[in-house]
Amino acid sequence: VLLTGSAWARGLLGWAQPERWLASRSLLPVSCIHASTYLQKSRKWEKKNRIVYPPQLPGEPRRPAEIYHCRRDIKYSHEKMWYLATLIKGMSIDQALAQLEFNDKKGAKVIKEVLLEAQDLAVRNHNVEFKSNLHIAASVTGRGRYVKRIRYHGKGMFGIMKISRCHYFVKLVEGPPPPPEPPKTGFDQAKEYVQQLRNRTLVHTL
Amino acid sequence: ALVMLFSPLPRLRSLLQRCWGQLEHGLLLSFSRGPSPPWGPALAVQAPALLPEPVSVTTESNEVPSLFDSILWMAAPKKRRTIEVNRCRRRNPSKLIKVKRNIDVCPECGNLKQKHVLCGYCYAKVKAETRLIRIEIGKKEGGPFNAPTVETVVLYDGEKPTEKEEGKRIIERARKRPSWFAQD
Repeated sequence: VLLTGSAWARGLLGWAQPERWLASRSLLPVSCIHASTYLQKSRKWEKKNRIVYPPQLPGEPRRPAEIYHCRRDIKYSHEKMWYLATLIKGMSIDQALAQLEFNDKKGAKVIKEVLLEAQDLAVRNHNVEFKSNLHIAASVTGRGRYVKRIRYHGKGMFGIMKISRCHYFVKLVEGPPPPPEPPKTGFDQAKEYVQQLRNRTLVHTL
Repeated sequence: ALVMLFSPLPRLRSLLQRCWGQLEHGLLLSFSRGPSPPWGPALAVQAPALLPEPVSVTTESNEVPSLFDSILWMAAPKKRRTIEVNRCRRRNPSKLIKVKRNIDVCPECGNLKQKHVLCGYCYAKVKAETRLIRIEIGKKEGGPFNAPTVETVVLYDGEKPTEKEEGKRIIERARKRPSWFAQD
């Protein structure tokens, strides 16, 4: 992004604000309200593996095993990673590994490693019997921390590029993959519309 | 955010604030005034206002609308593309990665392979063995441009050259014959 004249000047002076320097030189005690919650990284996905359910009653159907795995700070763009994540969304793990193996993108190799790691964890720690009996319930990307760097152009010009990183999260669930939903037909949509009209109630009447 | 408390030097603060405001104001004015600032890196701009002036007025009037005029006609986005429009474009099915249906299992090694492509694992195996054979050939030839004009035959452990391989160059490899490398 190349800045225009006045915006560049304002940006240069933006970092220096003398009123702030002077305000700190006071004799009264300064109450620091720096909470700095934005500096803490949110690491909830790793904690999801730790939840323990109460033992199931004899009549209940067996709860399928869920394995949460992620990889942080992958040197790739989260928008580009999203395409791969949606490719493997509802597939079985074998099909997902096959698709990723013959995909030429950089993120495909990373996601394949993550899936293999997760499969290994499932068999070792989460009491999964067959490593092929897993399917991908959720596959999500998130953006990681960006850093800004200067990209040098010719004639002394410069641009500011951002080095982007991303996180990748996957949730494997034991069992065969669920059947894909049939696409919504026009007839279904019309039926829903008519049902919505019929659900309306008359207000402020007898 | 910082809490601004009452400073014991109010006059100094107000003086500095006024000076700072004047400095900012002066900078803004200087940028809107001239084509190029006297200091700082030069920046690329789209607008014609910061282009250098044409060489002379007479040459411009003779020629057809030169670079100076055609710059005003350059295409530029009028409005910011909203995230909804951006999403419609990025998530259009034509841009999503298509599921490949031509993946099979290699009958030799059991790895996955594409139907029209050689199995990657088997190819790597053959490549490694070929490299070793080539090293043997290199040792036998001793240098560049020493390739003989006869055919080459590779023999593994415990194999004798038959009468068919009389005039050919023989390369010995000190291992068992691999199953995929048939003799004849």
